[in-house]
Amino acid sequence: MMKGNKLVLAIPKGRIFREATPLLKAVGIEPEAEFDDPESRKLSFTTNKYGLNIIRVRSFDVATFVALGGAQLGFVGSDVLMEFDYQEIYAPLDLEIGKCRLIVAQTKETLEIDSPSRSSSMTVATKYPEVTKRYFAERGVQAECIKLNGAMELAPALNLSRRIVDLVDTGKTLAVNGLKEIEQIADVSSRLIVNRAALKTRPKLIGGWIKSFTEVVNGQKVK
Amino acid sequence: MTDTERNTLLPAGLSDILPEDAAFEAETVDRLISCFSMHGYQRVKPPLLEFEESLLSGVGVAVEPQTFRLMDPVSQRMMGMRADITPQISRIAQSRLVDAPRPLRLSYAGDVLRVRGSQLRPERQLTQVGAELIGSAAVEADAEIIVMAIRAIQSTGIEKLTVDLTMPRLVQLVLSRYGLSENNNQKLRQALDRKDAKAVSGLAGKAGHELRILLSATGVAHDGLKILKLAKWADDRAKEIERISCVVDLLTKNVPEIQLTIDPVEHRGFEYHTGIGFTIFSQDPAVEFAGGGRYRVKGVETEDGERATGVTLYIDSIMTALKRPEPNKRVYIPIGSPFSCIARLHDEGWITVSALQPVDDVDMAAQNQKCYYVYDGNELRHVKGLD
Repeated sequence: MMKGNKLVLAIPKGRIFREATPLLKAVGIEPEAEFDDPESRKLSFTTNKYGLNIIRVRSFDVATFVALGGAQLGFVGSDVLMEFDYQEIYAPLDLEIGKCRLIVAQTKETLEIDSPSRSSSMTVATKYPEVTKRYFAERGVQAECIKLNGAMELAPALNLSRRIVDLVDTGKTLAVNGLKEIEQIADVSSRLIVNRAALKTRPKLIGGWIKSFTEVVNGQKVK
Repeated sequence: MTDTERNTLLPAGLSDILPEDAAFEAETVDRLISCFSMHGYQRVKPPLLEFEESLLSGVGVAVEPQTFRLMDPVSQRMMGMRADITPQISRIAQSRLVDAPRPLRLSYAGDVLRVRGSQLRPERQLTQVGAELIGSAAVEADAEIIVMAIRAIQSTGIEKLTVDLTMPRLVQLVLSRYGLSENNNQKLRQALDRKDAKAVSGLAGKAGHELRILLSATGVAHDGLKILKLAKWADDRAKEIERISCVVDLLTKNVPEIQLTIDPVEHRGFEYHTGIGFTIFSQDPAVEFAGGGRYRVKGVETEDGERATGVTLYIDSIMTALKRPEPNKRVYIPIGSPFSCIARLHDEGWITVSALQPVDDVDMAAQNQKCYYVYDGNELRHVKGLD
């Protein structure tokens, strides 16, 4: 149960984390020193703002914490919001960090043999089964998803699936593993998300943070 | 399946409510509904099951995906288990009570069953207590329902509440003005639901400007209304905004202690609503306690049909915020005590728990039965060993 004026901001580990710290600084949030220490086992950190704590969790879990009200604010990739359409989450601001793309890829060899537009079903290895099913269904293809949590690029070579749906940044990992991008599903960037009930019950506080982050993101664009 | 599983596992989202909690819930429901009757709302009791055609027509269309069906072996017709009671009340208002004088004030309490739970409420069987005010289009009716719901919740001892007012029609009006429709514009609807201003701008074309104003007005009611009133609106939208402004005034006057917010783009949870909608939140914990708003008894598809507004209180979430009082009115009656004493104690408001056979240690037996007092032939004494 949330007590008093406590506010929790959830930030994903990994890719987005590095780009998130300058943003925090720009809005005046200074986490305790251990926050920047990747070796630290701590999961929750105090900040210079009274009552504001930051938690560091997995990207998909940011959305879960915010949806269930464990955290009131969060940074999360739009890929996660596409996978889980949580009703309890608002995503008012594009933070313009963590930019990458969600794509479909397959091996260069199979590319000539079959094109995705001619199959009625296919196996796809992915971390995003919902997005994948929806995307292929719109094209009249039944996607049989194999849920993997990482190293999707291995799946075609080891005969788990013909295709993969994954995030790419530069496309290097794809190339190294003999894969070629065939379609793009979406552009991805990180969003500021807020819990619905928190925004309704503490409109000034949460609204204030949305405003601060918006000003910083817009300001950076001008520069 | 193990034996324990076979005997005790319940289907997902269903649960047993045990002693003390069950009694406390029943007391709370009584308190809430009696608050409605004090305001002149008369109780009705619709059945659990109805034929599909009647249950899922009109207002009921919106809850169709959440409805359990079964076949009536007698009439060989499909029946639906109610997933919401409001559609049943509007059916009653249009049929059996069509000649009753208006405005018609009805209340109800009962359980509903849903095919799926939500993220926040995994329960599939929910208890609803509600009230409907049928046959008035006045803003005073909107205010009456909201104020009464607040008073009812406050009567349980919960103090800090927030009311969020919504105008589900406003977005529809803006979209249709620019030749867009909500139904075939799911991406835009999703962007609005998420309050993603950038995506809304990208998807809405010419409607973008007005939608962005609506988005920016989300928040504290007085600030939001200022933003809305600064902009120039065509007649139909101006009317909606004027209406919500009147309701805000009435609420500020009547329940000044309540924090008011507005949200001109909120849509989820207001599928059958056609005018001002609202959600009542508790502030700590931040959860939804009640929701409701304006609708037409014949449903959203038609422009005719009586105007109505109503509220549903979500008993399950209200219960999570309440602390159950200690059961300290229980008295242990040792064997051999006269039956007349039991009747006298009941008149005085005590709960009696009678022994069925002699025991060695009366105090221990009393404690086991959760009694704080023992009747010792003449009067009540505290159970020994309890503070």
